[in-house]
Amino acid sequence: MMSANRWMATGNYFTTYRQEQRIFATHVDRLIFALFLVVLFSWPYFIELSTKYMLVIDNILIAVIAVYGLNLITGFAGQISVGHAAFMGVGAYTVASVAGVIGDRHVLITHAWPLMILLSGFMGAAMGLIVGLPALRLRHLYLLMATLSFQLIFQWVIGSMEFFNQGQFMYVGRVHWFSGQVSRSQHYMFWYYALLVTVVVCGLGFRNILRTRYGRSLVAVRDNDRAADAMGMHPGFTKVFAFGLAGFFAGIAGALQAYLNRGAGFETFTLHESIQYLAMTIVGGLGQLTGCIFGPAAIRLLDLQVESLARWAGEILPSSLDLATGLRPLSFGLVIVLFLIFEPRGIANWWRIMRSYVKLWPFRY
Amino acid sequence: MKTKKISIWMIVAAVALMLAAPGSSTAGEVYKTALSLAITGPTSDAGNPYSKGAEDYFRYVNDMKLLGDDTIECTIRDDKYETAITKRNFEEFLDMGIVFYLNYSTGSTLALKRDFDEVKMPTLPASFHAGNIEGSDYIFLPIASYSAQNIGLAEYVVDHHEGGTPKVAMYVHPSAFGREPVKDIEKAIEAGLDIELVETVEHGQDLDVTAMIQRWRSKGVAYVISQTVQSPVATMLKGAKNMDLVAKHFGEKGKMTFLGAHYTGGNDLIALAGDAAENFFWTTSYIVTSEPGAGAEAQLALAQRYGRDEKTANSHNYANGIMVAQVTTEVIRRAKAKGKPVNKENLYQELLEMNGMNAFYPVTTVGPVTYSKDDHQGVDTLQLYVVDDGEFRAEGKPFISEYAEKIK
Repeated sequence: MMSANRWMATGNYFTTYRQEQRIFATHVDRLIFALFLVVLFSWPYFIELSTKYMLVIDNILIAVIAVYGLNLITGFAGQISVGHAAFMGVGAYTVASVAGVIGDRHVLITHAWPLMILLSGFMGAAMGLIVGLPALRLRHLYLLMATLSFQLIFQWVIGSMEFFNQGQFMYVGRVHWFSGQVSRSQHYMFWYYALLVTVVVCGLGFRNILRTRYGRSLVAVRDNDRAADAMGMHPGFTKVFAFGLAGFFAGIAGALQAYLNRGAGFETFTLHESIQYLAMTIVGGLGQLTGCIFGPAAIRLLDLQVESLARWAGEILPSSLDLATGLRPLSFGLVIVLFLIFEPRGIANWWRIMRSYVKLWPFRY
Repeated sequence: MKTKKISIWMIVAAVALMLAAPGSSTAGEVYKTALSLAITGPTSDAGNPYSKGAEDYFRYVNDMKLLGDDTIECTIRDDKYETAITKRNFEEFLDMGIVFYLNYSTGSTLALKRDFDEVKMPTLPASFHAGNIEGSDYIFLPIASYSAQNIGLAEYVVDHHEGGTPKVAMYVHPSAFGREPVKDIEKAIEAGLDIELVETVEHGQDLDVTAMIQRWRSKGVAYVISQTVQSPVATMLKGAKNMDLVAKHFGEKGKMTFLGAHYTGGNDLIALAGDAAENFFWTTSYIVTSEPGAGAEAQLALAQRYGRDEKTANSHNYANGIMVAQVTTEVIRRAKAKGKPVNKENLYQELLEMNGMNAFYPVTTVGPVTYSKDDHQGVDTLQLYVVDDGEFRAEGKPFISEYAEKIK
């Protein structure tokens, strides 16, 4: 039976599937989430953060949206993709190329930016569906090669075509809000709120997709595609659907990146970035919604720390050794390997353990 | 009792002196500048000595009190050649209140171009990409653009080639940095520059270029102009040497003469290519330490003063870093001399007035630094160098590209 008291439930007792599919198992969960949102929306009124760190936070939020997509495809659907940055690039270049054609200060770019972001999401989804087509036939390493090809083709197309300014920066104008044009001093704070809203909406969308039959079929195909097939699901179409969803989230993230950076440049969407997003997904926790938040935060903050360490190493070590250059990939690789060995369920698992402990307190976990 | 009172007064006086001491030692103003560049990661072979050049010169300015009691505080940050990090660094620098900014890569300069204009920040990048200054009021190239350098090399070919129109191939970096000068060379050809551009090759990371050089030979290519970085040029030179196709002197019949712009050359090329680098023609606006002169002596003395190794001391990118620090110091000095407050607006104004009688002559370049409202390229003069017995030697007098002006 479902716990009688939905405030104090210490375990999960469900009598119907409907109960199990609830977004928040208890009222406390819902309350904590609401409070957490209040904190996220209100802290800038109480704490003054430098522009540098606002930019870091904005970039983390963009990565969260991108990792929603990658986690869907990798963690929930069990497919592998090393072309996620290219999907983001599709989103970013949708905005940038429209800006290039109609002018980067056109009302469509500056005023109808939510529509442009949505359009970029759909472009990403369309590209995801196309790239996902090989998934009808390919699995594992072969599928990885297909996504890698997409990444390389994307880089080549952007880097070579005049239409995309041969990979050089394409500008996107400043957006307008009800109060007028968002000025430089408001830029990062404005996008913090826009990103936060997007993260919450996409997160709820993500969670809701998983509650639908389409979402559950992703997990079923991941766990055993033959069994899923036998139960009436189409494994191929499910995988293509996963790629489409991943492309949608990546497209949205890419468009937001273009608006935040006020343009799109080729180097933001390289294979290296794709690997970074994969690392965020693994470190955060594959197949866990909370992992989509922990992963990007952990990797981006690790980057900052390693940067400081590299700076320090560069100052005290002879330049001929150039150890500082290797420090970043070394620490990055080490973190992934350590997580894969010691905590394959990612940081999300620590969160799960902590929640269970708190839920059962004062009883022992 | 009296002794106790005196002791208390002495303590009070000592504390007051201690508090006053830092104030008296930093009586001058501190002018904040910043540099974001690739000290590690891609292109750090250029960025590393560049950062040391800038760092050493600013230290020298402060140590020698070239600005009196005032000092320059230059914060140097590694951006690993990543635009996202450069952007973050720049925002941090703005919060710090910098009055002058030194940037590095083409990508980040283009990406931040609008930011520089919005915050009215005078900026000197290490990239000489002509596109950097298009539509920008606040970006100033330290020396002639890559386009001017490449066109200058093509002009040299035309002037010194014997018999008919010279056949030229271009070997370029697969990016805007490499491609843009090709477009400008094509414009120069349209404007009358008498060369035949046979082929343009965007290099990859191949370690064997035999097929490419064979193809060039079959097409009669006599000159190869490179617009990239040293390592692919070194690979190409080694390949050509193995095929015995490197000209022993300029324009040798049946062989190829290899030429390149700023970032293709320098001592790193000789280290990478060895003997194959012999007779490689290279142009830049900087002096080299293998050519005796006041600039070379000053560069080596600065490196020695701050304990730099031989490689750094002799790097043209060390000179590059020194030069941008010299320009920064000079505009601060000029603003101070006029009694103006040292802020970004006045430093920008000083840059615009750096021409004619006010041109700046740093010893690290082969010509004067001149800027104006319409001229954002610092040193227009180029010097051709050629590798002779493992060292770069000056070839002829400094020159200014004629067609680079024509196609503007």
